[in-house]
Amino acid sequence: MGKTKLYTYYMIVPGLILYLLFYMFPTISGIYFSFTDWRPENEIIKFTGIENLRYIFTDSLLVSALKNTFIFAVITILGKNILGLLLATGLNVKIKSRNILRTIYYIPAVLSTVVIGVLFSAILTPEGVFNTFLNSIGMGFAALDWLADLDLVIYTVSFVAVWQMVGYHMTIFLSGYQSIPTELYEAATIDGAGSISKFINISLPMLVPAINVSLLMSMISGLNAFSNVYTLTGGGPADASQVIGTVVFKKFGEGSWGLGTALNFLQCFLVALICIPLLFYLRKKEVDV
Amino acid sequence: MNSSINLMRRVRTLLLEASLWICSLTIIAPLMIVFMGSFKTNTEVLDFSLKLPSIWHIKNYLTVIEKGNLVRYFYNSVLIAAFSVTITVILSSMVGFIVARRVNRLTGFVFMVFFIGLITPQQIIPTIKLLQGLKIYGTIPSVILLHAAYNCAFSVFMYTGFVKSVSREIDESALMDGASTLRLFFSIIFPLTKPINITLVIFAFLGIWNDITLPIYFINDSNNWTMPLSAYKFFSQYSRDWNLVFADMVLISLPVFLVYIFGQRYIVSGLTAGSVKG
Repeated sequence: MGKTKLYTYYMIVPGLILYLLFYMFPTISGIYFSFTDWRPENEIIKFTGIENLRYIFTDSLLVSALKNTFIFAVITILGKNILGLLLATGLNVKIKSRNILRTIYYIPAVLSTVVIGVLFSAILTPEGVFNTFLNSIGMGFAALDWLADLDLVIYTVSFVAVWQMVGYHMTIFLSGYQSIPTELYEAATIDGAGSISKFINISLPMLVPAINVSLLMSMISGLNAFSNVYTLTGGGPADASQVIGTVVFKKFGEGSWGLGTALNFLQCFLVALICIPLLFYLRKKEVDV
Repeated sequence: MNSSINLMRRVRTLLLEASLWICSLTIIAPLMIVFMGSFKTNTEVLDFSLKLPSIWHIKNYLTVIEKGNLVRYFYNSVLIAAFSVTITVILSSMVGFIVARRVNRLTGFVFMVFFIGLITPQQIIPTIKLLQGLKIYGTIPSVILLHAAYNCAFSVFMYTGFVKSVSREIDESALMDGASTLRLFFSIIFPLTKPINITLVIFAFLGIWNDITLPIYFINDSNNWTMPLSAYKFFSQYSRDWNLVFADMVLISLPVFLVYIFGQRYIVSGLTAGSVKG
């Protein structure tokens, strides 16, 4: 009896309404607008079928944006997770200054991407600080034109994104490390296991839940790339670093709202298609382990 | 024999510590360039170096605040962050409480609906249609409501997990006293879940303060812009005056930096809760 009286459903209603109205409704109505010629100045929005989708897969800008999104996602997923795991492994060792180091590595993750974008646009010019540094340590051959080279720019943007979020992923891995009982390592030491064998045989399997969360987070933010690219290059030069997110904004500015929505919908679909099955797969795996 | 192993271990630990400090320079150096540069003159700043300013020009900050309309932007940012954080934390904790306590198909479905929001990105352009319909397109309240709604997904997820660890006996005793759900929640449960509430406030605040997506899409009057967008205005108008751009960047980052330094513990515990429960 008590249950229904104590935990009434009306407590859910305000939050659910807010969420359904401002998140779910636009998302679902977006499916309809994806198939229209919606422009802000049009009185009547016409249904155009798969016209937008056909355009997306034939327009060279959009095809290269899809490709760049993929490059950005792959590099940031690998970079954030591998470097994050390395840092966490190093900072899990009892060294004196580990708390201050952990604090420092996390700082970029709390800063606005605008700050980071503007900062790196200053650092990464041909005569910028980064190249000056490379020259001074005798690596002048690696001093490239990071933001103006059309083939390079999307990689540069990806590395800046990794730089920003590596501390965030490090923290996820560190929390995973906390859940590993120290006795496991002690027993392995007695058996004569080295550091690398301990890492592979104890740390990695025990870190699986943290790795899953970290992978999923980096995948979602990688496929949804927008702020990092927008603030550092604005998609340029000559559209060389456009990703889906920045093209949606460009189409929004040009008034091609139907097309922009179709692109946004495609992005949602891509994220859901990759991440949801992965989520269920990883969860099942976790139970098996 | 034993002492040589110990020595080797000590050396290895020291080497590790040294290399971690060297790596951290990749983070410290750019941030220090900004900080030092913000006090230099517009010619001295151009070497983008870690050198201390020859004279500390605190005046740069006053110039930025005045020329950049920063008082206004700061006010807008605080207004947006304060309202959306409050709305999202209160409404999501109410949802999370019921979802955690009444485990059935309906609440399971509600949880799934919120969970989807953690994965799929928002559809931005169709949102305009909705905002036009509600006659709030282009206004600060529209950005507040959108931020509050987007943050619900994460907050409901985290709060539900946390409430499951809070004993039910407290609820039962409240029932004996004849308290209503609302009273039980706000006078007993909500204060009891303070650690997670603070964590949610911090995460929501950091995300909302730093966000640029919603303001650039949904706010057209530049008087209603937020702090981070001021960096753009400065960058495009005063791109020769890097000292001013840097001072603006310091001012944008100061609130989040302070929240981070004082709330670090809650950020770590939040990420731990998220990654242990998956």
